[in-house]
Amino acid sequence: MKKNINKTFALLLALLLVLGLTVGAPSAAFATLTTGSSPSEEQSEDREDDNKMESKNGITKISDLNGKTIGVQTGVLYEDEIKDEIDGETWEYYKMPNDMIAALEANKIDAYLIEEVGFYAQRYEHPELMRLEEKAGQSEFAVIIGNNEKQDTLFRQMQEFIKEGKANGWLDQLYDYWVKNWDPNTCKIENVPTTTGENGKVIIAIEGGYEPFSFETANGVSGYDVEFMMNFCAKYGYQWDFWTMEFDSIAPGAISGKYDFGMNIVVDEERAEDSVLTDWYYICDLVFVVEGEYESDMGFFERMAYNFNKTFIREDRWKLFAEGMGRTMLITVLSIVFGTVLGFAAYMACRHGNKLANGITGVINWIIEGIPTVVFLMILAFVVFGKSTLNATWISIIGFTFIFGCGMFGMLKVGCDAIPRGQFEASTALGYSDSQSFFKIILPQAAKHFLPIYKSNVVSLIKETSVVGYIAVRDLTKMGDLVRSRTYLAFFALIAVAILYFVMEAILVFIVKRIQIKVDPRRRSRDKILSGIKEAE
Amino acid sequence: MIELRHLRKEYEGVTPLEDVSITINNGDVIAVIGPSGTGKSTLLRCINMLEEPTSGEVIVDGQVINDGKCDLNEVRKKMGMVFQSFNLFGHLTVIENIMNPQIALLGRSRQEAYDKAMDLLNKVGLWAKALSYPDELSGGQQQRIAIARTLAMDPEIILFDEPTSALDPSMIGEVQSIIRMIAKTGRTMMIVTHEMDFARKIANRVLFMSEGIIYEEGTPKEIFEHPKKDLTKKFIQRLSTITYRIESRDFDFEAVNDELQQYAEKLLIENERTSKLLLCMEELIMNNLFEFEEDPNIFASIDYSEKSDVLSLELKYTGQHFDPETCDSLLFKEILAEPTTTLLDETVQGKWYNNHTKIDFKWEEQ
Repeated sequence: MKKNINKTFALLLALLLVLGLTVGAPSAAFATLTTGSSPSEEQSEDREDDNKMESKNGITKISDLNGKTIGVQTGVLYEDEIKDEIDGETWEYYKMPNDMIAALEANKIDAYLIEEVGFYAQRYEHPELMRLEEKAGQSEFAVIIGNNEKQDTLFRQMQEFIKEGKANGWLDQLYDYWVKNWDPNTCKIENVPTTTGENGKVIIAIEGGYEPFSFETANGVSGYDVEFMMNFCAKYGYQWDFWTMEFDSIAPGAISGKYDFGMNIVVDEERAEDSVLTDWYYICDLVFVVEGEYESDMGFFERMAYNFNKTFIREDRWKLFAEGMGRTMLITVLSIVFGTVLGFAAYMACRHGNKLANGITGVINWIIEGIPTVVFLMILAFVVFGKSTLNATWISIIGFTFIFGCGMFGMLKVGCDAIPRGQFEASTALGYSDSQSFFKIILPQAAKHFLPIYKSNVVSLIKETSVVGYIAVRDLTKMGDLVRSRTYLAFFALIAVAILYFVMEAILVFIVKRIQIKVDPRRRSRDKILSGIKEAE
Repeated sequence: MIELRHLRKEYEGVTPLEDVSITINNGDVIAVIGPSGTGKSTLLRCINMLEEPTSGEVIVDGQVINDGKCDLNEVRKKMGMVFQSFNLFGHLTVIENIMNPQIALLGRSRQEAYDKAMDLLNKVGLWAKALSYPDELSGGQQQRIAIARTLAMDPEIILFDEPTSALDPSMIGEVQSIIRMIAKTGRTMMIVTHEMDFARKIANRVLFMSEGIIYEEGTPKEIFEHPKKDLTKKFIQRLSTITYRIESRDFDFEAVNDELQQYAEKLLIENERTSKLLLCMEELIMNNLFEFEEDPNIFASIDYSEKSDVLSLELKYTGQHFDPETCDSLLFKEILAEPTTTLLDETVQGKWYNNHTKIDFKWEEQ
């Protein structure tokens, strides 16, 4: 009872902390929207008025960036275009374009480089952002074709499709609709084309958090890339299957042949050498973004309500969180169950020093302990199961089963080794068989030693699963990122995700604790010990 | 009933059991004694195959059990074992420690097992501890319960592996009396122990083991009162000896002094007694024997028996006889005159010496 009270108290404290964090966070992060006029109108009108604001740190032209720190998204290679024109600058690499906003506001970087389109989408929620007038360059964007048996056909078809689209003006129309006239509140795929699907399924890798090209909505993915690919698939009779993932996983995945198409790949000579890129399907200017002087006039509670509404209610985004939480829970729970079984089986096989079993277990342990979780998962996804169509969620379950199994094996070893040899000798001398000794005498005593470690392994497993986004699993962290990239609110979704992890941990820890109490022989009641016995008076 | 034939156990580098053959008959109570590290426990553990013998045979009721074909679990049910470190199952209560093996291995009902366990707990006087956990009990109590656990299985033989070695002196008695009680019921037992008096009282056969073999075997009377072999005698008397061969007048008495100090410290012999011994030794050898002989040939040995608490100096030498009583030193004479000192002086017809002098120093608290 007392423990429960402590628990509630701790939870309250945590909530207070979270609130404190929210209030204390750079106010600019929440300086999201002006009141009044509809943002979409404002945006389209504002395009020419970009530089009405004063730059906060005095950077107004590209030459001002000498010696500064500049952010750029990993894998886009925009910096190659402009590197030579700036001196002594430092490049910082970010996974998601929106993380650069937070970095800019926290003064971690002085400016960041982004394609014009991305900037307009960001500025919709962050009016304090401003671009430098000078263009930083221009990038061409192409489709990467997956390195598998379909490559030749798909490449030919895609080239033809792009050529036609340019010739008949369809690509321009698409660009105008999604990019030039972008409005997050109204833009959607009006007519989802129908496909016969007669030529099978194609896997299309998209970023998924990159408005207006690809982004999550509660009704599935949408955006320029999505509509573009749907039309392609309809024309050539393919069924589409969109996989969302980190941007820098798209090209490697396609090169490994795992995906058939990777979208939004910057055309680059080096990249063209070892991969098959189509002609560009859109061209876009690159701009530097800096922070301008801007003041929000929204009150704290107003802002919080607005943020909450945007993060959870609008477009039913809570469904994304629920889905992500469900998937994280699924991966965690199944990995725990399978991992426990696997670790146990491995321990049983190794228990008597069987050379083969010990050798295999040793090598697997060595590999898994030596490789960072993310790298291990990526190797599983892109190398081991590179060609298979096994669902990424199942690949992560396999990966974490091994990781948890290794932990389980180690725990059993430590736990059972901690039991004095005499216990085993005494049971053997009484006539217990080897397995009877293990299950009736050794294991119940070892459980006491390893269950506390088991509990903490469970907690760390939930946390570790947060990297599955790398292999295109839409878990809670990934969903948080996707929502964040839609709302352009750096903090709110992050904190929501943190709280949800806490909740999941609390549930699993509660279950393990129940088990711990259940298997603790010392907690049995007198009645249980003497059940079925008539005591002598 | 149990026969061991040329049993040998080797580990890498050590051979605790060289070659042991023995027959254990029904009703035997065998005590195994001997210095540490001479294979007593190994012998016991080979009988129920906790250790697998390197060669030789263990035959139980006419069946060879160490040929790999035998169902050892069945054989072990007939043999109980009581360990030095009790080895009660830590996760089970006292009553379950005694009940569970009966239920799992002998197929008894819970009620039967419970009744038997309570009966035995009564006998070992721990009825009230039925629902305690082993770590809540003293060592002596744990060992009594371990004995009850073994008895509950109705074994044909019980192997005791130093059952009192891990106990506080105050608890040894309670465990020994239980074992004595079992011995009286005629159960076959084999007990490895360092408690000589206990071994003597309880056993009908005593094995003295040394260097991996059964060095001497006999009834308690034979072994404890009339041991035939020197090593046995020495062990029974708990003798510790240091010896010197003195063949020159340059003999280094300083070194003897140092060695004797350490020896006395180790065996807890009083300083006064060692100084007396040293004084007598110097007086006899340096001041007298050296005077008579240019080339002395003296064999000196210093013995201490823990059992009888006697420290003695023994000199064997060739040449002219010297009677200690005729010594000039007053101090020496005074020591000899003390009631705790006994002198033996004789001429003998030895192979290489003809004089024998022995002085025993006893100790009496003032």
